Amino acid sequence: MEQKVLALKKKYRIAVAWAQDHNTVGAIHMAVVKGLVEAVMIGKSAEIIKICRAEKIDEKLFTIIEAESENQASIKAVKLAKEGNADIVMKGLAGTDKFLKAVMDKENGLMLPNAVLSYVGALEIPAYHKLLFLTDPAVIPFPDLDQKIAMAEYAIDMARRFGIDKPKIALLGASEKMSRHFENSVDYAIMCKMADRGQIKSCVMDGPLDLFLACDKKSIEIKGVETPVNGDADILLFPSLESSNPFYKGLMLFAKSELAGLIRGTEKPVIVISRSESEKSKYFCITLACFMV
Amino acid sequence: MVLKNLNDLRRLIEGGPKKKLVLAAAQDQHSLGAVIKAWEENIIDPILIGDKDGIQNICSLNNYDITSLKIIHEPDLEKSVEMAVKMVSSKQADILMKGKIGSSALLRCVLNKEWGLRTGNLLSHIALFEVDTYHKVIAVTDVAMNIAPNLKEKIAIVNNSVACLNRLGYNIPKVAVLGAVEMVNENMGATLDAALLSKMNQRDQIRNCIIDGPLAFDNAVSIESSRQKGIRSEVAGDTDLLLMPDIEVGNVLYKSLVFFAKAKVASIILGALAPIVLTSRSDSEQAKFDSILLAAASSNS
Repeated sequence: MEQKVLALKKKYRIAVAWAQDHNTVGAIHMAVVKGLVEAVMIGKSAEIIKICRAEKIDEKLFTIIEAESENQASIKAVKLAKEGNADIVMKGLAGTDKFLKAVMDKENGLMLPNAVLSYVGALEIPAYHKLLFLTDPAVIPFPDLDQKIAMAEYAIDMARRFGIDKPKIALLGASEKMSRHFENSVDYAIMCKMADRGQIKSCVMDGPLDLFLACDKKSIEIKGVETPVNGDADILLFPSLESSNPFYKGLMLFAKSELAGLIRGTEKPVIVISRSESEKSKYFCITLACFMV
Repeated sequence: MVLKNLNDLRRLIEGGPKKKLVLAAAQDQHSLGAVIKAWEENIIDPILIGDKDGIQNICSLNNYDITSLKIIHEPDLEKSVEMAVKMVSSKQADILMKGKIGSSALLRCVLNKEWGLRTGNLLSHIALFEVDTYHKVIAVTDVAMNIAPNLKEKIAIVNNSVACLNRLGYNIPKVAVLGAVEMVNENMGATLDAALLSKMNQRDQIRNCIIDGPLAFDNAVSIESSRQKGIRSEVAGDTDLLLMPDIEVGNVLYKSLVFFAKAKVASIILGALAPIVLTSRSDSEQAKFDSILLAAASSNS
């Protein structure tokens, strides 16, 4: 992914809300040094400078704007993007709820009209032959049909930016069968028909599928299930946050995988990443955001 | 093989053993006429149960020669139906037909737990139409029996109809689930059920057919119309079976085909141990005859 972004040879302005955080400063610094972004760091300037010096980073590489609180920092970051002075907004040490409140503000926020706020991640998994997009591992706990449709469309859009013309999207369940015990299978059948009829565009969709049928050709052969996704999914749509979140965290912990992700439904890319995430993860999010501007 | 017209049903019974049809409360001009005609044309062997005098009166008025026919005298309407149903459940007859008795009284007997014709399946109605403007026979379900089927009932109705079409020689009938539009619309329940039925078919949970839906009526029966809309579908334009969203749509379609398109129609009740011919007074003589023909051709006994 980094290669693709470097190949863009464009520099974007990123505004970081409540930036006095080691991992965030480190990740931004890496992106600045590689020529991906110019950074506006918003927060307690004294602390930002202190972190820079501790990490032996030249603070003059950044524009630093003073803010007194995480609320204020978030509002300022969003305002920069709203006014066209930033292409990407990133959450630093600010709490997610406070940061998203500024993003979702009706008048001054960044939401597209009537858009669903959701999250799309891109996973690099050594054991899988390509980048795997997933939705929604962070925002919507139990998506209804309309939210699932929006999630699918965001993920399709992201995969297409990566040059996959018709991404294969698997709607995940515990089995490929339709069952009244699995309410999501109902939504999935409806979505597949919508994709058939061109109501959801530019994808090859199937579901319900279990993870094996979605991502493993051998399972397709063994089970003899006919599916256009054919064990070669580009996108996984999960039925709930409780299934998607442990999925990617498990891959990061046990399978040496990396996740980059973005909030979707906004006018400009918004990076929300857990404060506990590594510098590397944060850097990947920045590269992804550059790609999605 | 698909049926080009209703007369093709005759080919299916040629050479096979002749099916026994039992007509309950047979003292009925309308049904008796069709039964006699089907008998004269070697389609079935009739057994008439009912009021013997009444039956003979009708026959002499119409010059039917029934001297070689089996007639069982049972003047009581309910009892004659009970006897007819029992003949079918005990395999002495292959087809049940309604004579001079109400449909609900007949169905009550059919559904009798001890000696009825229950199979555990839902009863449903299938009608086969021959219409000049379509390139083959088109089957429609359910236009007469199930009022507002839910998803589970729609599955049962499709299964009944597909099994019937399979017996008529259709290996993989093409089933269109009818909606007002071919798009999925959350405000139109029929389009949602259609999507679910399609997926269950893809997953082999509904077998021996190809299901697509929602399809609007024009997309279902006209290849030009489905092409114009850019619908990719194996079913569109070549439908063998149309699944109705409810009886109100179905009944109006049925009657408009008959009255405006001058369609020939044959219909039976499915889901019981044997096909049931349950034509109504308003059906033409031809429709009653064709229904008997359909029952004989689709009987699996």
